[in-house]
Amino acid sequence: MWPGGPVLICAILVLAGCDGPQSVLAPGGEDAFVLANLFWFLLAGAVVLWCAMNGLMFYVTRINPRELSERGAQALILWGGIAFPTVVLAGLLFYALSIMPEQRAEGDGGLRVEVTGEQWWWRVAYWPEGADEPIISANEVRLPAGSRSEITLEADKVIHSFWVPSLGGKSDMIPGRTNRMSLAPTVPGLYRGQCAEYCGESHAKMAFTAEVLTPEDFAAWLDAEAGPAVPPDTALAREGRAAFFAEGCGACHAIRGTPAHGRVGPDLTHLASRATLAAGTLPMTGEALARWITAPESVKPGALMPGYDHLPPERIAAMAAYLEGLE
Amino acid sequence: MARPGVEDGPEDRSLWHMIFAPTVWAVHFAVCYAVQAIWCAKIGGDIATLRVVLVAITIVALAIISFFGFRAWQRWDYFHDRDYIHGGETDEDRREFLGHTGFMLACLSFVAVLYVAMPFLIIGSCI
Ligand code: HEC
Ligand SMILES: [Cu+2]
Repeated sequence: MWPGGPVLICAILVLAGCDGPQSVLAPGGEDAFVLANLFWFLLAGAVVLWCAMNGLMFYVTRINPRELSERGAQALILWGGIAFPTVVLAGLLFYALSIMPEQRAEGDGGLRVEVTGEQWWWRVAYWPEGADEPIISANEVRLPAGSRSEITLEADKVIHSFWVPSLGGKSDMIPGRTNRMSLAPTVPGLYRGQCAEYCGESHAKMAFTAEVLTPEDFAAWLDAEAGPAVPPDTALAREGRAAFFAEGCGACHAIRGTPAHGRVGPDLTHLASRATLAAGTLPMTGEALARWITAPESVKPGALMPGYDHLPPERIAAMAAYLEGLE
Repeated sequence: MARPGVEDGPEDRSLWHMIFAPTVWAVHFAVCYAVQAIWCAKIGGDIATLRVVLVAITIVALAIISFFGFRAWQRWDYFHDRDYIHGGETDEDRREFLGHTGFMLACLSFVAVLYVAMPFLIIGSCI
């Protein structure tokens, strides 16, 4: 095999990994574009420097090997080793710093999304302009394209970090503190966010979907999200609803329009309209729901929801059917 | 001898004089961060005034570093003999070694203080 083959294959694999819903190099928002540009700019600079240094090395050892006078060597160190990197690094530092204020620019779309890091899921509250009550959701952040939205970040017990690589930079979520950032998505689509600060056993399984919608779609979705849960419409789902309350799920979970008001776990009012289950860990299907309710710990180590594997599978299937209908 | 008629003083033997500039760099770093933290927590968002204060602190630090850098440069006494070799056992070797090292540390500290100050000039808010 041609010796460059494996290198080429690696390069292709690495580049393929740069695409997708969670890549800094596939930007879908203003802030991410700026960060991706910073990366390409630095990469180009590094390539030029690498070629220049190795070219010089080649030149002085192979093409024109001769002794340099002591003064010449000193001048080379002074200019090439001290002055040049000092100036280049100052320029790069200035460039990188100068883009930071923009990353925290004030929102202009009137929407504020308040995200709280929990172990190991995301509490999400939407505050549209002028609202005096938030619209509660979880494990999913939806944003309108074409405007800048305020994001305020809090944490419950331990530090987390909020990061949607395709939309912008990351910010820490710190208990007892409110951090703010802003995001200005431009390209509608489905992206993936991930907790970026180790927060316990299931840190790696603390993700979420970030969906960017056109402003009209977003307004329509937010209207629907604000409403109460739809009542169950099949016998199985009605049975599941009864089981949900009989088993005490409502002590930890809220479903608006029902007596379930718990705040320990994620809001389930419109659970089935989310793309994923359990903070980006499972697909949103009836099977996954049944698996989750039976044994959350088998999906997310340390999950702070009790398992219900003592219940007959039919009862769990009924609850799954009820939850699956909560569009 | 390098400087005819000038005897070596205590600072020509002092390690402390050699590391004075990096010490100023460290103090500048700590003071800037403390001032910024206290300002943001207690006084609030008046960033323009905060910036003036930090620039003033930075100018003072740069002036002190320049002064000690210049003193070290004199001690190195490079233009007298263009001497880079300070490994000997004489007073002159010791003085020139301390001067040379102190001068380079002063250059490093000067640049470092500028780099430390740059975020203050650009970042526009407390968070
Ligand atoms: C002690 C509190 C508690 C009880 C009781 C509880 N849960 Fe949970 N539940 C949680 C927590 C905490 C999470 C988040 C776990 C995680 O993602 O790490 C969760 C997550 C969920 C999710 C995923 C939500 C999402 O946004 O993807 C579903 C569905 C769910 N629970 C259903 C149930 C059902 C059905 C019951 C009753 C059979 C139940 N829960 C009982 C605490 C509880
Ligand atoms: Cu985490």
